[in-house]
Amino acid sequence: MREFAYFRAADVGQAVATVAADPEASYLAGGTTQLDLMKDGVLEPDQLVDITRLPLRGVVREGDTLRVGALTTMEELAADPTVAGRLPFVREALLLGASVQLRNMATIGGNLLQRTRCRYFRDPTVPACNKRRPGTGCAAIAGAARMHAILGASEHCIALHASDLAVPLVALDAIVRVRGADGERSIPLTDFYLLPGDTPDRENVLVHGELITAVDVPLPAEGTRSGYLKVRDRASYEFALTSAGVALLLDGGVIVEARVALGGVGTVPWRAREAEDILRGAPPGPAAFRAAAEAALRDPFTVPGTAFKVELAKRTLERALRTVSGVTS
Amino acid sequence: MTILERPRHVGPGVDRVDGPQKVTGAARYPNDFSHPDMAHAALVRATIAAGRVARLDTGAAESAPGVLAVLTHLNAPRLATGPSALLATPPPPLRDDRILYYGQYVAVVVADTPERASAAARRIEVGYEPAEPLLDIHDPRAERLPDPWGSDASWGDTRAALDDAHVVIEASYTTAENTNNPLGLFSTLAEWDGDTLTVHDSTQWPTRVRATLAQMFGVPEAGVRVLVLYVGGGFGAGLRVWPHVILTAMAARQTGRPVKLVMTRPEMFTGIGHRPATVQHIRIGATRDGRLTAIEHESRSTVAIEGDNIEPCATVSTAAYACPNVTAHDEQVRLNIPWTNSMRAPGEAQGNFVLESAIDELSHALGIDPLELRLRNYAEVHPRSGLPWSSKALRECYEVGAERFGWSRRVPEPGSMREGDWLVGYGMAGISYFWYQAPCQARATVRGDGTAYVRSAVTDIGTGTYTIMTQLAAELLGLEQDRVTFGLGDTSMPPGPQAGGSGLTAALGSAVHAACRNLVRAFLDAAAADPASPLAGCDLDDVAVTGGRVHRVGEPERGESYAGILAMRGLDELSADGDSTPRTPQEAGMAPAGPFGARFVEVRVDPELGRLSVARVVSAIDGGRILNEKLARSQIIGGTVGGIGMAMFEDTVSDPGTGRIANATLGDYLVPVNADIPDMDVSFVGGPDAFNPIGVKGVGEIGLVGMAAAIANAVFHATGKRIRSVPITIDRLLL
Ligand SMILES: Cc1cc2nc3c(=O)[nH]c(=O)nc-3n(C[C@H](O)[C@H](O)[C@H](O)COP(=O)(O)OP(=O)(O)OC[C@H]3O[C@@H](n4cnc5c(N)ncnc54)[C@H](O)[C@@H]3O)c2cc1C
Ligand code: SF4
Repeated sequence: MREFAYFRAADVGQAVATVAADPEASYLAGGTTQLDLMKDGVLEPDQLVDITRLPLRGVVREGDTLRVGALTTMEELAADPTVAGRLPFVREALLLGASVQLRNMATIGGNLLQRTRCRYFRDPTVPACNKRRPGTGCAAIAGAARMHAILGASEHCIALHASDLAVPLVALDAIVRVRGADGERSIPLTDFYLLPGDTPDRENVLVHGELITAVDVPLPAEGTRSGYLKVRDRASYEFALTSAGVALLLDGGVIVEARVALGGVGTVPWRAREAEDILRGAPPGPAAFRAAAEAALRDPFTVPGTAFKVELAKRTLERALRTVSGVTS
Repeated sequence: MTILERPRHVGPGVDRVDGPQKVTGAARYPNDFSHPDMAHAALVRATIAAGRVARLDTGAAESAPGVLAVLTHLNAPRLATGPSALLATPPPPLRDDRILYYGQYVAVVVADTPERASAAARRIEVGYEPAEPLLDIHDPRAERLPDPWGSDASWGDTRAALDDAHVVIEASYTTAENTNNPLGLFSTLAEWDGDTLTVHDSTQWPTRVRATLAQMFGVPEAGVRVLVLYVGGGFGAGLRVWPHVILTAMAARQTGRPVKLVMTRPEMFTGIGHRPATVQHIRIGATRDGRLTAIEHESRSTVAIEGDNIEPCATVSTAAYACPNVTAHDEQVRLNIPWTNSMRAPGEAQGNFVLESAIDELSHALGIDPLELRLRNYAEVHPRSGLPWSSKALRECYEVGAERFGWSRRVPEPGSMREGDWLVGYGMAGISYFWYQAPCQARATVRGDGTAYVRSAVTDIGTGTYTIMTQLAAELLGLEQDRVTFGLGDTSMPPGPQAGGSGLTAALGSAVHAACRNLVRAFLDAAAADPASPLAGCDLDDVAVTGGRVHRVGEPERGESYAGILAMRGLDELSADGDSTPRTPQEAGMAPAGPFGARFVEVRVDPELGRLSVARVVSAIDGGRILNEKLARSQIIGGTVGGIGMAMFEDTVSDPGTGRIANATLGDYLVPVNADIPDMDVSFVGGPDAFNPIGVKGVGEIGLVGMAAAIANAVFHATGKRIRSVPITIDRLLL
C-alpha cells in the first residue's frame, strides 16, 4: 500500500476545495470500498479526505421527496419510517445487501459510487483491464466471468455495477445533489452513470472533486406497491446474480404506473423503460409480465459464463412482477 | 487395571479445556508470537503458469524504505530437498528460474515492517518467458499417473458381470477444485541462533516441520524446535511443509534477524494446497431385485507438475457394498496448477459423491427405496479382504437416521412433494470411511502435588485434542480433570503424527493409554520397594485408580496415593513413556474400520429461479467410542457445513488461459453463511471399536462426506433432474 496523507474535513467547502485542488486525492466515507481497493493496490491516492464528520447525515421529508444525506448509512436509511412505509423496495434492497456490519459503516453516497467487484479490476497483477489501465484490454471477457454484466456491456468492459440500492433508486428517478468547486448541481440518477463504451474508466458524470451531498428520492403515488427480488448464489452476504426492483400502481384491473429496474445484469443500474412501457396500461398477468421481461433483456451482451443470466433475469423480473402485483395467473 | 469399562470422564460433552483462552484472546496462535528484533517478509508470486523468469528487476525494492533483503533464485542459498515420504515437501523454493504454476514464489522481500515489505514486493519487476501451460484435466498432452497409490483393486469379472446385469447405471461426474481456507492466515516466525532454529508455524504436523527444516538447511534436527500451541484451522492445509515456511527460515538466516511471515488470503489459495478437481466415471450392474453384481469406478484427479497428492476416489467403491465384481481405478493428471493436497476427507468426499449418487440412480431405475437398496447390499465383512470388521454399526446409522428424519414420509415419485413455489426433496447417502492410524508417542508425569502432565508433539487444530486427551488421561490415571494438563504443539515433546486422516485420536489416545499404564506400573514398582505397602506384589491387573490413588481392585482402602508414593520414595515426580503402533489387519485378524455414517437431507428447490436450499440434515454416525459427545458433534456439524459448501458453493475457478485463480478472496470464493445452514441433527450409534485399546474411530472428516450425494439425490427427488457436477449452482439447476 502506498503511503498517503489523511485529512479530516471540517466543512463541506473545505472538503471540496481540498480534493478539487489535488488530482490524486479521494474522499473517504465508510471506507468499505475505498480502503479495500487501497489495500489491494488498485487505488493509490496520495491523500484521503475524510468526510464522515460533515453534516450530511440523516433523512428528511420535504413534501413528496425524501432527502437522504450522502453520509446516511445503509442501516439508517433502511430504518427510516417513510422508507419502510412508502418505499419497501428501497428498504429490501438495502437489507439484502452486504452484511449488517458493513451496512453500519457504508454510506448512501459511497454505495452509489462503489466500484465493480470484477476480480480482474481488483487484482493489479492482471495486466489487462481497461477500467484500471485504459487501453490494456479486458481480461474478464476471456476469463472467468459469472458476476458480470450482460446489459450495457461492450467488448471493452463487462463489469457489473453491483449496487442493490441503486436499482430501486434509478426506478424512482432519484436525483443526485452534488457540490463542486464551481457550486452545486443536481443530476438525475438515470443520467449519472456512464455506459463503458470504449472508456470504461469513466463511470459517472462527476468531475474530480465533486462531492455528493444528498440524494433526493421522489415518493411514488400512494397505493404504489413495490418489491425487490435478489437472486444470488448463497442466502446472504452475496451480490446479486440477477435482481429486480419493481413498483406498480394498479387501478381497476390495469397497471397505471410501472417502474422497473434490474440489478446484477447491467454495467450501470439498469432502468428497464421498455418493460415499463409494456406494463403501463396492461392488465397484470403472465402475458404482460413475460413480454415485459423479454423487452427488458433485449440485445444482451453475453460471454459463456454469463449466458445463463439472460433467462434468469427474465424470470427474476417475472417473479418480482407476480409477487408485487399479487397476480399469479 | 481394567479401564474404560465404566468411564467417568470420557463420553459426556465436557466443555473445551482451552475454551476460556480462546474466548478471551489469551490463546496464542503462531502469528501472535513476536520478537523485539523481528523483521517481516512478503512474497512475490509468478503471474504465469509455465515458463521461466527471464528478467528480474529488484533495484526499486532493494532501495525502498526499510528493506533488509530481497531474495530471488539469483541470490537465494541452495537448499537440500525435504522428505519425500507421505505428503512430500515441495522442492526448495527459489532454486531456479522455472515457473511451474501461477502463484509460485519468485522472490521474498524482508523489511522492518510488514507494510514496507509488501509495498517493496509490489515494486519488483519480473519479466517472463512464458510457455504454454497445461491447465485442463482433459488435456491429452498432460502426463497421466495410473494407480498412483497402489490402491487400485479388481475382483471377480466386472466387465462380464456388467454385460449380464439386468440393470446397468452408467454416468460421468465432476467435482470442482476446492480450497481449504482455514480462517487463520498461515504464518511462520523463524529465529536462528547459530545452527539452532526456533519456529512458530501454522502446521498440523510439527515433527514433520522440524525434520524438513533440519534436512533442507543441513542442521541437526535436535537443534530445531517447532511450536504450535493453537492453529486457526487447517482442514489439511497444514499437513505439508510449504515453501513459505522454508522461505521464512531462509530469510531469517540471510538477514540474521528473526523473521515473521503472515500469508495473505490470495496466497492461501496458491501456497498451501487445495482439493483437486476430479472427473469420474461409474458403471453399476444389478439384478432386478436390487442385488449389486458389478461396480466399475474410474477417477481422474489433478496434481501439480512436481507434486504428489493422495486422493483415492474410486477406492471408495471397494469398501462400501457387498458386490462380487468390483473394479476401481484411480489416476492423476499433471498440470501447471498450484499443489493439490488433502482437504478434509480427501478422495472420500469426491468418490462418495459419485458412488452414492449412482446408487440413488439405481434405486430410481429399479423402483426400490434408496435406503432399502443399501440394506440389501450391506457389507457384513470388509469387501476387499473378506475380514470381519473391527466394528460396524452402519445398519444402526441407517435405522436411527431414517427414524429421526422421518424417511418413511418420502413419496417416491420425483417432483411429487411441494410447498408453495418450492419443490421439496428427500435424499440420503451412506458412508464407509477409510481407516488410518500412524505411530505415536506420549509421556505422562505425575508430580508430588498429585497433578499430572501428559504430552506429545501433536497439534490441536481446533478439533478438541487438548480436551479429549485431558479427559482420557484423567480416566486412565484416576484423577479429576482439573488435576490433569495436556501439552502439545512443541517438538521437544515425544514425537507424534499429523492431525490428519481422521487418525490422531486413535494414535494419540493409544499412546496416552500406554503411557498412563506404564506410569501406573512405575508407581507400583515404586510402592513395591516398601514391603509393607498395601500395593506390594500387585500387578497392573490387580489394581484400579481413583481419586489420585492406586488401590487393589474392589478394595479402595488398600492402596496409596500418588503423592504418598512419591513422598515415600523421596521423588518429585514419576514419568513414563508410551507408544502406539497399529497392528496389521492380518495380525489382528480383522479389518480395521473407519467411521460409518448415514446422512438424510431435505432440500427446497425453486425450479423457476434455480434456487436451492437445505432445509434439514440428519446425521447418524458410528464413530466407535465417543470421547466427548459435544466435541464430536461439533466435528460432524462443522463437517456438514463443509459438505454443504462442497455441494453448493465452493469452486476454485482458474482462468482458462493463464491458470490464475480468479476468485482467490473470501468475497469471491463462496463458503456457506449461517443463512445457508439449517438445523443439524446428529446422533452417535455403535460402540467401542476392537482395533485399538481405547475403542475410538476418527470423526474429524466423515462429517463432510455424503453431503454432496445426499443433496444431489434430494435435488433429483425434488425435481427429477440429476446433477452430476458439484457445486450445484443456480446455472446448473435452472430448469
Ligand atoms: C464484502 C462486501 C459485500 C458487499 N455487498 C454488497 C451488496 O450485497 N449490495 C450492495 O449494494 N453493496 C454491497 N457492498 C458494497 C457496499 O455497499 C459499498 O462498499 C458501500 O456502500 C460504500 O460506501 P462507503 O461509505 O463505505 O464508501 P467508501 O468506500 O468510503 O467510498 C466509495 C467511493 O465513493 C467515494 N465517495 C464516498 N462518498 C462520497 C461522496 N459523498 N461524494 C463523492 N464521493 C464519495 C469515495 O471516494 C470512494 O471512491 C459490499 C461491500 C463489501 C465490502
Ligand atoms: S470487465 Fe471491465 S473491469 Fe473487468 S477486466 Fe474487463 S475492463 Fe476491467
